[in-house]
Amino acid sequence: MFDVTKPETAVDQTDIKIAASNVQVFYGETQAIKDVKVDIQDKTVTAFIGPSGCGKSTFLRCLNRMNDTIDSCRVEGRILLDEQDIYAPQVDPVQLRAKVGMVFQKPNPFPKSIYENVAYGPKIHGMARTKGELDEVVEKSLRRAALWEEVKDRLDTPGTGLSGGQQQRLCIARAVATRPEVLLMDEPCSALDPIATAQVEELIDELKQRFSVVIVTHSMQQAARVSQKTAFFHLGNLVEYDDTNTIFTNPQDPRTESYITGRIG
Amino acid sequence: MTDQTNNTGFDWTTPSFQSHMKRRRRSQLQLKLLGLGAIAIAFMMLMLLITSLISTGYHAFTQTHLKIEVFLDPEHLDPAKPARGNYRQILTDTMKTQFPDVPDDRAELRKLTSILSNGAQFQIRDRVVENPGLIGETVQFDVPVADTYDQLNKGLIDPDTPEEYRRLKNDEIANFELLKDRGLVTEPLNTALLTNADSRFPELAGLKGALVGSFYALLTCFLLSFPLGIGAAIYLEEFAPRNRVSDLIEININNLAAVPSVVFGLLALAVFLGWFGMPRSAPFVGGMTLALMTLPTIIIATRAALKAVPPSIREAALAVGASRQQVVFGHVLPLAMPGILTGTIIGLAQALGETAPLLLIGMNAFITSAPSTPFDSATALPTQIFIWADSPERGFVSRTSAAILVLLTFLIMMNAVAIFLRQKFERKW
Repeated sequence: MFDVTKPETAVDQTDIKIAASNVQVFYGETQAIKDVKVDIQDKTVTAFIGPSGCGKSTFLRCLNRMNDTIDSCRVEGRILLDEQDIYAPQVDPVQLRAKVGMVFQKPNPFPKSIYENVAYGPKIHGMARTKGELDEVVEKSLRRAALWEEVKDRLDTPGTGLSGGQQQRLCIARAVATRPEVLLMDEPCSALDPIATAQVEELIDELKQRFSVVIVTHSMQQAARVSQKTAFFHLGNLVEYDDTNTIFTNPQDPRTESYITGRIG
Repeated sequence: MTDQTNNTGFDWTTPSFQSHMKRRRRSQLQLKLLGLGAIAIAFMMLMLLITSLISTGYHAFTQTHLKIEVFLDPEHLDPAKPARGNYRQILTDTMKTQFPDVPDDRAELRKLTSILSNGAQFQIRDRVVENPGLIGETVQFDVPVADTYDQLNKGLIDPDTPEEYRRLKNDEIANFELLKDRGLVTEPLNTALLTNADSRFPELAGLKGALVGSFYALLTCFLLSFPLGIGAAIYLEEFAPRNRVSDLIEININNLAAVPSVVFGLLALAVFLGWFGMPRSAPFVGGMTLALMTLPTIIIATRAALKAVPPSIREAALAVGASRQQVVFGHVLPLAMPGILTGTIIGLAQALGETAPLLLIGMNAFITSAPSTPFDSATALPTQIFIWADSPERGFVSRTSAAILVLLTFLIMMNAVAIFLRQKFERKW
């Protein structure tokens, strides 16, 4: 189903990559997400901000169906990726996750070599037939993650031996290696020092030329720096969703204003 | 001085604070000493065990032999049927030449031949069967002496004991001393302990049957319990839904690990031997019984090892679009392998030392040849120890200890392998 690539023009016309409406998420009896409606644009960085426990990570994990792995989690509503419902019964979450990549809070490279970390995704999806093709994918992905120059001479050393910032960029390279259309980032810089954070942010800015990037962040400064669109979550509700500039300079909802001025959160 | 300390805010020298410190340090010291004492006692116990085993067992690591010149008298041997010769008579003649002064009396001659092990005649027979051309010649043999003389040579028979309470009379001791003076008595390393199977005669008894039996049993146990255990653990840990049924299964597996081994023995007796009519005393059946016992251990160890793999690795693999199966077999299982192997080896080491279930399926039979297949009757190391400990011959006392030392050596080796694997494959993430 997702192998059918739409013509580029079609995507450009609609400009909306993910359309979520009426999304409810339950953990057992407790409702974590209430009635969220959000349209995520293509080739844009969208930031989810909000206080801890507001459901922004939960919502992010709905977008690539990572919540499926939690037994007690139940998702309702419609999430359309390129106008197709990703919760439709014929959708295979495994294939979906190759299309919607994800980067986590803590860098989590596989305890394998740098090369194998990046090559793993293309390998299991049969994206490279020969060693040469695979090498090419690995190099391209590492370049895209701005890591190639640093690791090109030690591709067979363990990925876990890199520094924290390099590990996170390796994880980004791993995520982009499967040629996703959307890249989800769950607080990708919260375990990094300011220099590594700056590098990753720079990278995000470049990535948005090819992907739609959705980033969850605790840091409002980061949201302001990297994103074009910002969604503010509070207690499981999507309070406000608008251009980042509008959110930070002229919020419509009093809750948003209290949060960005530091009165709640 | 005191003013100064007061100025800095806290007086470290007040009596109340001092006494508080003293109390705290005393209780800390007490705890430390208690721990040290516990370790010292445990260590002493262990030393006591090992020392007692070695002090009784070391006698069994050598065996007294006698060098004899045997004239293979054609009168008692038929070259056509070398296996049916009168070897007892040949040995009597041999001993007679050593003691020309001894009167030609049946009782006296029997005394002389009883210096030699009962196995001596078979040793000569085997040599003659192998090479019938030797008949008519004089050949030198190195044969083990009987257990009582072995004891005498090792100083385990006290010559000060009144003769009527002694197992060897004065003239027998004198005869042996005579042979010793002629330099015919040697005490080489007792290789028979590992290369012979069991025997009624301690000087011939060895552990080969038990070692091979234990090997086959452990092999069967491993082949059954390793794949089954890992499969069950992977399903329970990675695929099974968390509900009442899986909770019940988990509790029962934990309970099974605590079931006394004799119960598994009874189960095997009833099911494997009773219903399925499997052969008695076979290492294969023993291995199946041990597998029943080892299975819960392996399942628990495997689940713990799988659980110890950080969830971030699973998420990472899932997020690049790996299926559940690819996540488990490509990432989680390899990372859990050192833990799984360690658990398995410790489970197998436990199985190696297990006695009760093997007794119940008859692996304590008296079997004088090593099994050639897992379906032949055999003993195992622990049951062999049990048999020997039960035997009245004095020579089995030291052999029992020696067999325990052999068993302990194997256990230590298996644990060393487990530690090695853990060290080698330990990964940081």
